[in-house]
Amino acid sequence: MSGTSNLLNWILWMPMLGALGVLLIPKAKENAIRFWALANTAITMVLTAKLWMGFDNSIAGMQEAFTVKIPWIKQFNIFYHLGVDGISLPMILLTSVILFICILSSWTVKKQIKGYFALILFLQSTIYGVFFSLDFFLFYVYWEVMLIPMFFLIGIWGGENREYAAVKFFLYTFFGSILMLVGMVALYHATGKGVDSFDLLALKASADEFIKMKVSLFGTEVAFDKLFFMFMFIGFAIKVPVFPFHTWLPHAHVQAPTAISVILAGVLLKMGTYGFLRIAFPIFPGAAVYFSNFIAILGLINIIYGAFCAMAQTDVKKLIAYSSVSHMGFVMIGMAAMTSQGLNGAVLQMFNHGTSAAMMFLLIGVLYERSHHRWIVRPDGSKGFGGLYTQMPTFSIVFIIGMFAAMGLPGLSGFISEALIFFGIYQKFTTMTVLALLGLLIGAAYLLWMFKRMFFGEVVEECKSYTDMNAREIFYMLPLCIAVILFGIWPSPILDIMKASVNSLVTLLANYQ
Amino acid sequence: MLLNYLASIGRFIPEIVLVVTMIGLLFVESTYGENDKGSKKGYLYATAYIGLILSLAQLVGSLGDAPGGIFTNSLTIDPFSTLAKIIMVIGTAGATYLSRRSSDIYSELKGEFVIISIGVLIGGMLLASANNMLMLYIGIETLSILSYVLASLKKNDDRSSEAGLKYSLYGGISAGIMLFGLSHIFGVVGTIQFTGMIAKLQTLDTMQIAILMPSFLMFFAGIGYKIACVPFHMWAPDVYEGSPLPVTTFFSIVPKIAGIAVLVRVTMAFFGGETTALQMTWVGTLSVIAALTMTVGNVSAIGQRSVKRMLAYSSISHAGMMMMGVVCLTEIGVTGILFYGITYLFMTLVAFFITSFVQDEYGNDHFERFNGLIFKHPLMAIFMIITMFSLAGIPPFSGFVAKFNIFNALIDKNFYVLAIIAGLNSVVALYYYLKIVRLMVFKQSESDEKIGGFVFSNQVAIAVLTVPVVLLGVFWESIIHVANGAKIFIQ
Repeated sequence: MSGTSNLLNWILWMPMLGALGVLLIPKAKENAIRFWALANTAITMVLTAKLWMGFDNSIAGMQEAFTVKIPWIKQFNIFYHLGVDGISLPMILLTSVILFICILSSWTVKKQIKGYFALILFLQSTIYGVFFSLDFFLFYVYWEVMLIPMFFLIGIWGGENREYAAVKFFLYTFFGSILMLVGMVALYHATGKGVDSFDLLALKASADEFIKMKVSLFGTEVAFDKLFFMFMFIGFAIKVPVFPFHTWLPHAHVQAPTAISVILAGVLLKMGTYGFLRIAFPIFPGAAVYFSNFIAILGLINIIYGAFCAMAQTDVKKLIAYSSVSHMGFVMIGMAAMTSQGLNGAVLQMFNHGTSAAMMFLLIGVLYERSHHRWIVRPDGSKGFGGLYTQMPTFSIVFIIGMFAAMGLPGLSGFISEALIFFGIYQKFTTMTVLALLGLLIGAAYLLWMFKRMFFGEVVEECKSYTDMNAREIFYMLPLCIAVILFGIWPSPILDIMKASVNSLVTLLANYQ
Repeated sequence: MLLNYLASIGRFIPEIVLVVTMIGLLFVESTYGENDKGSKKGYLYATAYIGLILSLAQLVGSLGDAPGGIFTNSLTIDPFSTLAKIIMVIGTAGATYLSRRSSDIYSELKGEFVIISIGVLIGGMLLASANNMLMLYIGIETLSILSYVLASLKKNDDRSSEAGLKYSLYGGISAGIMLFGLSHIFGVVGTIQFTGMIAKLQTLDTMQIAILMPSFLMFFAGIGYKIACVPFHMWAPDVYEGSPLPVTTFFSIVPKIAGIAVLVRVTMAFFGGETTALQMTWVGTLSVIAALTMTVGNVSAIGQRSVKRMLAYSSISHAGMMMMGVVCLTEIGVTGILFYGITYLFMTLVAFFITSFVQDEYGNDHFERFNGLIFKHPLMAIFMIITMFSLAGIPPFSGFVAKFNIFNALIDKNFYVLAIIAGLNSVVALYYYLKIVRLMVFKQSESDEKIGGFVFSNQVAIAVLTVPVVLLGVFWESIIHVANGAKIFIQ
């Protein structure tokens, strides 16, 4: 049942090969390790581009041409099943570009370079695994394996409190995945007699059966689909992160090294929302519709609460971390609306937040390399930064682009997706739309306030020594700047990829409303 | 009749080989003079390995044989018991290897360790095959009495003596209680054979059931004590800590697997049939105890300072996980237990091997001793990390597949609550497993001195044991096939 192309295999395993290659290079040859990693991500990027070229925008389901399906554990009907559709392709593109940029931005990492690059490449491979998997078991394996490199990357190369952040991140996500595992095995046993399977497409096809099923829990009958939707929900919500499961995120973001924060914000958070779109919504459409108001309210809390939290921060990285919480709230509320614009907007927002949040974290990393602190206002009340605009003009311009994209200024990418989401949710949640718009306003307020405090005013004494961005830094910021501006004016390349797949999901959900 | 016995002996070769090895070892041991004890143990260990390997080869060869009873049906040889025995033999071989390399056992007592541990192994093998109450009792006593000696092997050490005493007191009491319970069961049912027990238990009147309920609980106390499940676990941490490390390694594998095996057999032989009041009592008790065992084991493990003690508590919680498979009363459950046993064997061996060499170097096994291990011995540290992740049940390592199989069995019977309890427990477990990983990788060691125990041969041994921990996490189809084929045979 394999497709004609092995492209997905190549994309999935190329970074893994790269990681093994890094391990073979002697420790002393630091530049060789860096260039090897860079070349590896470049090759993966080319392969991803090839995938994009061969992608047929008109197909709503999985692209048969790229599907790979090999039996893994026959006894349990577990397959090594990879596929790509319009929801996963934007994520794949995002991953390839962001990882390439992360390698470039990690050029200045000094500590144990070999381990660092090997782990990043390993992480990249597992990320592809999550986005490609069409078998729940395989998905789960990749979902969990990903925690291992993340744990070490935060714990070894992170800031002062790195151990605490790494452990918290690991335990939180693991807790969510345990519930997911229970749900996964329950689904396996539920798919009728004789067709036990972990195949996500087969599970999706038997969605109607799940609605009729009951589960006995402590002697009370509970609807099967609602119960396990909740399990999956918690598993994915921790990753997004949805309030009240978000407390790991500020720690992990602040403690993680720059490149890892970028991967976290740019790609890993999207895995949560991707999980909703790939697993929770198609397999439990009835429950998804049933809980849609609840999800929307949580999304709204994310938007407003995250924005207020961001406003209160004096650490600029923490501020951006909370702004991620706020922006992921838009994705959640857009998905909960289950309208065509809402869902398209949500997927587009996943992509756009990936680029803009990555930009912000990279810029903070650039700044941190010069200042070695991130205080907007130091704990003693003095200013941490001031007048950066006169000191670092190029940096400031890039920062403005990234910030306005995050803010959702028309003409930049964030605007399109947020506007789509607002159109989408207005039909269903009118009051919430107004409140969410308020969140947008708070978002603009904290970002502009931060900008004013850091970039304008008197030049703080120590900022005078800061140099502007160097060529390498400009080089890796450039693709993101282009993406943010280009997709702000002309979003159709990304929208076209996902339209067919997203709309088929909308149609599916509409049947249960 | 004679022919029958000869045929029985043919199926009893693995045990006979071990008995012969034991006797042989006594002779070899006596050839050593007073002065060369400890330094020239080559022949002794060679004899032990030959015996274990021959027995293992015989067991592996007979894995596919048709099940049947031997010695007038007092023992059952079925694939299930054979697989359990294979696990125990490999566990004994691992502990034997460690005993030679470890300095935790007095060098003049290494011979004693080898001889006695093979004796315990024979007891465990009898237990795994026991098909009537008498054999069960003989098996448990063979296993226990020799274990008491092993626990106090470090005889000049107070804690080791305390361990031996504690072990024998608890063991004696629980065996007595079990015997008392068994006598009631015999009194009511009228037979000590497991054969046909299911049918007999279903025709009892209310009065008889009322008598049997407490009797079965007493019966369970004896088995539960061997598995160290809550509330019969009090002895375990002290015994595990007081005993020399190779003995602890041995204790956390052989008696545990034997106990689980006999628990599976008893549960299936007595309650495998239709639902009855007795079955509900037994299975209900079992599920509560399994959940408690996991939870208490895990929660207690968090606060430990000594890695050995932490591993001891974690082995209690793993026993709880295996018991969850018993609760299901299904073949899937038995498969899950066997797979869990196989992976547990290798993970335990790797963890204890590495801990042992660290302890030998520093004189204790406090967590701080692992600080910065990755900078001194990167490969060993990576193996330890893999094992810790595997014990916590994180893919792509074998511990995850084992956990998955137990979950599979639980959810097949709709035991969602138990599955969730098991799942939450693995989150707790992850915390303390991560502690070791954290210390090894994120902390710096006080000294740069390498650990003397990690010589090439020991590193190879650890590497060989780590291979299944990794491979069974990805390519587990063949092993699950074997575990699936190891059906339990009830006549």
